[in-house]
Amino acid sequence: MHSFWVDLLVAIIKILVILGIALGIGAFLTWVERKVAAHIQRRPGPMVVGWHGLLQPLADGVKLLTKEDLFPRYGDKFLYHLAIILALVPATLVFSVVPFGPEFEIFGYKVKPILSDVNVGLLLVFALGSMAVYAVALAGWASNSKYPLIASMRKAGVLVSYEVVITFAVMGPIILAGTLSTYEIVEKQIEQKLWYIWLQPIAFVVYMFAALAEMGRVPFDVQEAEAELVTGFTVEYGGMKFGLFPLVEWYIEGLTLSAIAVVLFFGGWSPINIPFVGFVDPLFFLGPLSPFVWFILKTTALFLFILWLHWTLPRYRIDQITQNAWKIMLPLTLFNIVITAILAPIVWR
Amino acid sequence: MIKKVAAKPLSWLERIFFIDFVRGLKITLKNAFRKTITTHYPYEKITPPKRFRGFFAHKVVDGTEPQPAFQEWVNRYNIQVEYGKSRCVVCLRCKRACPVPQLFEIEGKKLPNGKRVVSVFNMNMLLCTYCGFCVDACPVDCLYQTDIHETASYTRKDAILTLEILEQIGRDWQVRREEEPDRIWIDDEQRTRLWYENDVKLPKPEGV
Repeated sequence: MHSFWVDLLVAIIKILVILGIALGIGAFLTWVERKVAAHIQRRPGPMVVGWHGLLQPLADGVKLLTKEDLFPRYGDKFLYHLAIILALVPATLVFSVVPFGPEFEIFGYKVKPILSDVNVGLLLVFALGSMAVYAVALAGWASNSKYPLIASMRKAGVLVSYEVVITFAVMGPIILAGTLSTYEIVEKQIEQKLWYIWLQPIAFVVYMFAALAEMGRVPFDVQEAEAELVTGFTVEYGGMKFGLFPLVEWYIEGLTLSAIAVVLFFGGWSPINIPFVGFVDPLFFLGPLSPFVWFILKTTALFLFILWLHWTLPRYRIDQITQNAWKIMLPLTLFNIVITAILAPIVWR
Repeated sequence: MIKKVAAKPLSWLERIFFIDFVRGLKITLKNAFRKTITTHYPYEKITPPKRFRGFFAHKVVDGTEPQPAFQEWVNRYNIQVEYGKSRCVVCLRCKRACPVPQLFEIEGKKLPNGKRVVSVFNMNMLLCTYCGFCVDACPVDCLYQTDIHETASYTRKDAILTLEILEQIGRDWQVRREEEPDRIWIDDEQRTRLWYENDVKLPKPEGV
């Protein structure tokens, strides 16, 4: 009985920490994105609120909260609000299977810094990721307006294509690790002294493309397309409801997909890897904190890379996007799986 | 003859290694770490060029009038010249040159000594297109366009420039920038912050 209450307390603390990270960092990332975009275009970006505009997300939040809440006349109120929940909840839930670091001991209790180490963690990630399509489709449908509808149909098309691709892309690392649990995949990589990107570069590239498509980022931002669709399916949303969609789609999903990419291809919390030889840790002086710092560093680097791509590339047409998915990336990933499945047993078993 | 130019198709090597992506990423990365070139507008403002077409002004009589034109016009219209007051000789040429003449409201009055002087000179800036025809038309170099470009106001009434305001702007402008030589932007030291990198070289005129 005693250990039950401790477990509950630990779980609640984990939930609070993860929620704080997801929503707090998510809001803060708006500032990061604006700064990156600005400097790429040789502007300073937000500079007024706080030091170098550091408090800008707060100011934006206050502004969005005080805005008028509009609702389209013939819209469906229930679905309209359901779409917001369906967008926010699954995206945040993915964090429950992201391992932030190795197991550590505190006050005699062993704590894994992962909310629920389920043995089908990756399956959960992609199941929850596919829920995004409902949010988008409902948002477009319930708004009863043409731009959101076009946008949501585009996004649904993109998502359906790339869900297939991303699932096949992660099969490579799964075959190498022999498990679906995110925590164990990282442990396997440390055990095998190998980041899976060295053996799965194709899978990684395809994963990144699919992740960009799921986040609705350039070059796959047809559903947003501010030039043609005036930011797509969020047209009829106002105030904080409008703010939530980009927050979820661009930042929370961006964070989770970067974190999952780090887990699958960059060995989670492990330091720099020399394939088949071992790990080099330039941050050894941080002691037990070093794995957490490595995980955060890798995720940040990947997220910044996504931002960098976003502010560099132009936009694909919808037919080019789906063509890429079905005609190029899917065969590539299948080829990758076949090669991996043949080679993996020869190397390790 | 129309010459059709198609983009060069990518080679297989370029397709596999995303060479065009990498090129684009290189450019954005290079730009991301360069110095920003913007001004932080409400807090720091760039000086407009001297010949900027902004708010209007009446230059005042201060001894720098274009002679002998000014004296000729004064004599013709029998104008009372007063130091520190508008040079206007009420010839109405600005109103004639204007594409929207009703924005001008000009009246002169006769003084007891028989001489004349401008009494009303209103310009409704809501109608103005800032084309500068009136400035070109002015024979005594009185009406002038200054570098004041923040023209927003809270009421329509504030958008009307009266004679007093015009004279005040003119006096202010004459103190600030009258002596400054006419320059084009590239030579302008006050704008170097914007142009410091462009390294533009003007072609030298031939045979000078």
